[in-house]
Amino acid sequence: MTNAKPAQKGFLPALKRFAHSKKMVTLVWILGIVVIWEIFAFIVAATKRTPVNVLPHLWEIIGSFFSDKKVTGKMTMIELIGTACGETLSRAGIGFLTGIVLGYILALLMNLSRVVEKIAFPYLMIIQMIPILGMAPIILSITGDINSARIVIAAILTFYPVSTNVLAGFRSVEREKHELMYSYAANKFQLYTKTLIPACIPYFFTGLKISAPMAITASILVDTLQGGNGLGCMLSQSLKGGMTRLVFWDIVLISAVIGILSFVLMGVIERLLCPYKRNRTSD
Amino acid sequence: MANENTEIMLDGIGMVYKDQGGNDVTALTNVTLDIKKGEFISLLGPSGCGKTTLLRIIADLLHPTSGKITVGGVSPREARLAQRYGIVFQSPVLYDWRTVRKNVMLPLEIMHVPKDEREDIADSMLEMVGLTNFANHYPNQLSGGMQQRVGIARALAIRPEILLMDEPFSALDEFTREKLHVDLLKIWRKTNKTIIFVTHNISESVFLSDRVCVLSPHPGRLSAVVDIDLPRPRTLELTDTQEFTELVSKVRNSFEGV
Repeated sequence: MTNAKPAQKGFLPALKRFAHSKKMVTLVWILGIVVIWEIFAFIVAATKRTPVNVLPHLWEIIGSFFSDKKVTGKMTMIELIGTACGETLSRAGIGFLTGIVLGYILALLMNLSRVVEKIAFPYLMIIQMIPILGMAPIILSITGDINSARIVIAAILTFYPVSTNVLAGFRSVEREKHELMYSYAANKFQLYTKTLIPACIPYFFTGLKISAPMAITASILVDTLQGGNGLGCMLSQSLKGGMTRLVFWDIVLISAVIGILSFVLMGVIERLLCPYKRNRTSD
Repeated sequence: MANENTEIMLDGIGMVYKDQGGNDVTALTNVTLDIKKGEFISLLGPSGCGKTTLLRIIADLLHPTSGKITVGGVSPREARLAQRYGIVFQSPVLYDWRTVRKNVMLPLEIMHVPKDEREDIADSMLEMVGLTNFANHYPNQLSGGMQQRVGIARALAIRPEILLMDEPFSALDEFTREKLHVDLLKIWRKTNKTIIFVTHNISESVFLSDRVCVLSPHPGRLSAVVDIDLPRPRTLELTDTQEFTELVSKVRNSFEGV
């Protein structure tokens, strides 16, 4: 259905609409960050001896990303970061998917059995409370391999938001829907497939939107613990002086972008899966 | 007492439950009533009179603590398992991820009705409630009255013998409600269902019903059964007649202790 108010034509009304739109908010935020960054970058450039170590200009960072100068023996910046991104994201991705599957299964089990819920819930809370960097050495000593440890940690961080949100989704289904299924003499399997699982999809995606950036952050963070080719590995090498400091800045920027994109991607998938959410009327 | 025409037989139904303090609360006491096949019965009363409790007992959502109930000769549980009930709640309880048509098809999917047949049934039910043009809309695109029509279409889709309606129109505005009253009576005439209609609206119950069962609170009990011998088919003009107003006051006067 269309909006009740017909869109007015002309430049001023268009500007007015834009000023009230969501895009405007995003634009103001981005501009604000750029302006503040640059103000400090100019101050740093004027007062510090090695400004690139403290706060380089944004154009230096972006310029270095597209520059065809080699930053290591063979690779340009874009090649280096591209490879590192691939490494880190594939680990984050595997961990994320594993976390989703296990988190969902646990939510199902907790919903099916109060006993499982009572036993599992405190552990979920505890896992959530341990800092990643504290958990990493323990996981490493269990898996014996840093790359598996990186995947496991991404999975653990995904697990909790998915599990708790899906469980909340199951619990949010009104009593009448349960009674309706009961009156149709539906079995438990039908109750889940026809009612509970579809009803919890928005909750599931809330969990995914929280955990996707977390899985990536965790993956980068755990990269820094040991060597390899991930984003975090490059980041710490750059900080230690192993390559230009601009690698560090590029990775910081790229990580932020990836984190945001992972969130946006979950929203896009949700909209594709839930056409009914796109059709809300205005009144 | 019960003859072949009896669909639902309630014999001395009582319902006592414990409140949070562990005290016994009597929700219903000694309700005896026979409901005939194809009858339109209203359960009328103020809140706390046990009308919804009685409906839920018939629907096998609650088990009475005393008395005996049979539905078509069997227990409510057997009747439910035989899918003889269609239920319409106060809120439409639609599945917002399903289109209107798929909402109506839901109970048929659970009964494993083949797809072609499901679609045919859903389309004919939507035609009956006048929503053919909205078949592919989502519930959140419909008005409250239309949503409740979808709820009715869904309840009728499994061809139940008994339609249980729990204050289905109480959240709607007066104009929509009156329109739905007339439509419901048309549907009832076409389908010959037994309808049990819970309401707290006196004129609504008189307009719709063959018999109005007046329930009074503290404790919930059946205080009167009023025959509504108004001619059918009924139209809204009927509400302006003297017979109608007399029946409304007769029903109103049969409450005890309100």
